[in-house]
Amino acid sequence: MTTGAIIAADLVIAVLAAAGWIGGGVAAVAGRRRIATGLAILALVATLARAATTVALARAGWWFAAEKVVIAGPLTLAAAVIGVRRTPMAFFFAGYAATAAVLVTVLHGYPVSPAAALLAVAGVAAATTVTWRFVHRRPSRPGTVVAVAALVAGTGFAVTPATTPEPAHQHTPVARTEVGEPTKRFALTAGTIDGAWAFNGQVPGPELTATVGDIIEVTLRNQNIERGVTLHWHGYDVPNDQDGVPGITQDAVRPGQQFVYRFVAGQPGTYWYHTHSASDIGVRKGLYGTLIVHPTTPDTACDLTPPTTSGPNLTEPFVPQPSNPRPDSAQPTSSKASNTRAGSAQPSSATLNKSLQSGSESCIDVTVPVHTLDGRLLPEPATTAAAPGTPVRLRLINTDSTTHRYAVAGAPFRVIAIDGVDLAGPTPLENTALLIPAGGRFDVLTTAPAGLFVDGRLVRSTGTVPVAPGAWPVFDPLTYGAESRISWSRIDRSLTLVLDRGLDLRGLLPRYAHTVNGAADPDIPPQVVRRGEIVKLTIVNRSLVVHPWHLHGHHVLVLARNGKAPTGSPVWLDSFDLRPGEVWEVAFRADNPGMWANHCHNLPHAEAGMMLHLMYS
Amino acid sequence: MRRAFVVVSTITLVVFAFQFVFAAVGAFTKPSSDSAYALHSITGMAVIPALVLLTTLFAALAKAPGRLIALSVLPLGLTLLQALLAALPEAFADETGSSTVVGLIFGALHAVNGIIAIHVVVGVVRAAGRLAAPDPAPPVPLNATQNAEAT
Repeated sequence: MTTGAIIAADLVIAVLAAAGWIGGGVAAVAGRRRIATGLAILALVATLARAATTVALARAGWWFAAEKVVIAGPLTLAAAVIGVRRTPMAFFFAGYAATAAVLVTVLHGYPVSPAAALLAVAGVAAATTVTWRFVHRRPSRPGTVVAVAALVAGTGFAVTPATTPEPAHQHTPVARTEVGEPTKRFALTAGTIDGAWAFNGQVPGPELTATVGDIIEVTLRNQNIERGVTLHWHGYDVPNDQDGVPGITQDAVRPGQQFVYRFVAGQPGTYWYHTHSASDIGVRKGLYGTLIVHPTTPDTACDLTPPTTSGPNLTEPFVPQPSNPRPDSAQPTSSKASNTRAGSAQPSSATLNKSLQSGSESCIDVTVPVHTLDGRLLPEPATTAAAPGTPVRLRLINTDSTTHRYAVAGAPFRVIAIDGVDLAGPTPLENTALLIPAGGRFDVLTTAPAGLFVDGRLVRSTGTVPVAPGAWPVFDPLTYGAESRISWSRIDRSLTLVLDRGLDLRGLLPRYAHTVNGAADPDIPPQVVRRGEIVKLTIVNRSLVVHPWHLHGHHVLVLARNGKAPTGSPVWLDSFDLRPGEVWEVAFRADNPGMWANHCHNLPHAEAGMMLHLMYS
Repeated sequence: MRRAFVVVSTITLVVFAFQFVFAAVGAFTKPSSDSAYALHSITGMAVIPALVLLTTLFAALAKAPGRLIALSVLPLGLTLLQALLAALPEAFADETGSSTVVGLIFGALHAVNGIIAIHVVVGVVRAAGRLAAPDPAPPVPLNATQNAEAT
């Protein structure tokens, strides 16, 4: 049983216990002693089962069990001790205590707070007092006193501000370093078209391609997007002032305004760009596109790079360093994307059918950005005719907010890169499904004839349509490729992020927020690192849903998932799924100063509070 | 106060009925998404709990018998349970978010619990009507308590 399943089962059992006690109380009042006793026994059994789930959760990590031991434990114990007296009031008290235990977990489970504990006690005392009044037809003075005292104390704790003063969120981004004269120029104009929001009138926006060493300049104009637009280079570790996060690294570009991005193409690989202003609705409605950076050696898209030379330097921690701009080798300035197309918001079959023949005729290099546009699944199915045996590189991108299941059918394939970084020693795979998290990218190398399915739907093929994939086992990046461990000589700083849901009362309206360490954006204190440090992030998912985590400006190296170190190639990620109950330990070198967003890339979750910031002191 | 109890409990019943309408709206909205259920979830998580508390308050002010007050507040517990049952199918979904049998069982219980809740509210409205009737009817609403036990 996974920790996620135990979390859910624990909730169900806790509700059964509460319902059993309260039902027993009702039956006892109605004079049905046997039913009452039966329900009480059910409640006791559920309580015992909950002790087992709590122990199991504590073994998986104290984060999962803290409030269940410290707050719910005493409440449940009191419920059981009082409940066995078998008077109606005892049953009701036990029911209220068990209910409070569930509510603490659901409304403010982590971190354990005296406020939550005291308010739970206040609730139990108040409900018991009221019930007492109706059952015994006289008020209960001690109950009232306890309820009022706990309520006052709990509210006191709740409204007392945190002891650490929050650093101001407003921040001047680290000034741009001069990168020189651009060698690749693009212009992106954001505007509405047929109900979609599009760059240059097309969804997805133009595919931006460059070669390592290029100096990319992108002029962003906003025609009529009232919510504002920015460009965030997802997975591309640009300097802070180019990162495109409104309110943090720049102001949102309002209608009629423009902003010029300029950065060195230092990392080869598959990336994408999207607006970070009103990002949930903006990306969903179509403000995204792909960014492909080719390595300096041309015609290598379909080469299986030998592990010794692949990707970042594997003996040293990977530091995405812009390589020296080489204007002489750079391609001539391109302005093909600057012509604003007056077309409709048709999913740009032009972009998709182009099948980027990167130099060599024998390599098909296809970018597949998967998106759900107003219920329509993009890209639309397309076929690229290819002779059998032709190598095919599929650049799979998930631009949605939820995980998609990709499957390559008809031919063996290798996963040669994840999130833009090459994997070491990729081995051939067959009949294996790929789960790509929201925002994530997998580069897959296969040979024609092959077909790509996304969630069971054929998206690309090379002619003959192969059989649809079945219920294939899922690829695990952490056990794939040639084992070559990167050992960090030291960890300078450890930071923890506990993901959950909880009641957020700090805003104008109360909301059931997605929280990090018990708080919701904008009230999560920024985490501070120093330049040059090796920082370990421990990310814990206490909630019932998947959270695709995305740290801006850095790639993180996976150290462990649920306490187990990867056994294959080193895995550098910028977007990774934390399933319910999972604990990931990842590390990065703090080498890109600034103020960075660090958030869940299920964008509705981010807007519902699951976003914080990483800043350099 | 007894009239007010009748009015508020009837309003609660009407809103409960609309909850079924909103659920259908969510189910038939294309393309389907979580936002299709926005009306359903706002009504369920904010409007109904507030109305149930109000009904209970008026039941107490109307000096209704203890059982009727307990019956009035019961939908609050069922509504909390309802929110949990709505969250569980996603919790038990597989890696891609596709439903599993366990998840769907909890999803089905969401519907069953909704039916139970509206029966309880009907019981409250009837009992409130008897309480407000000029001819003093028996104060204990029989079928209402039966409903409560059935839950």
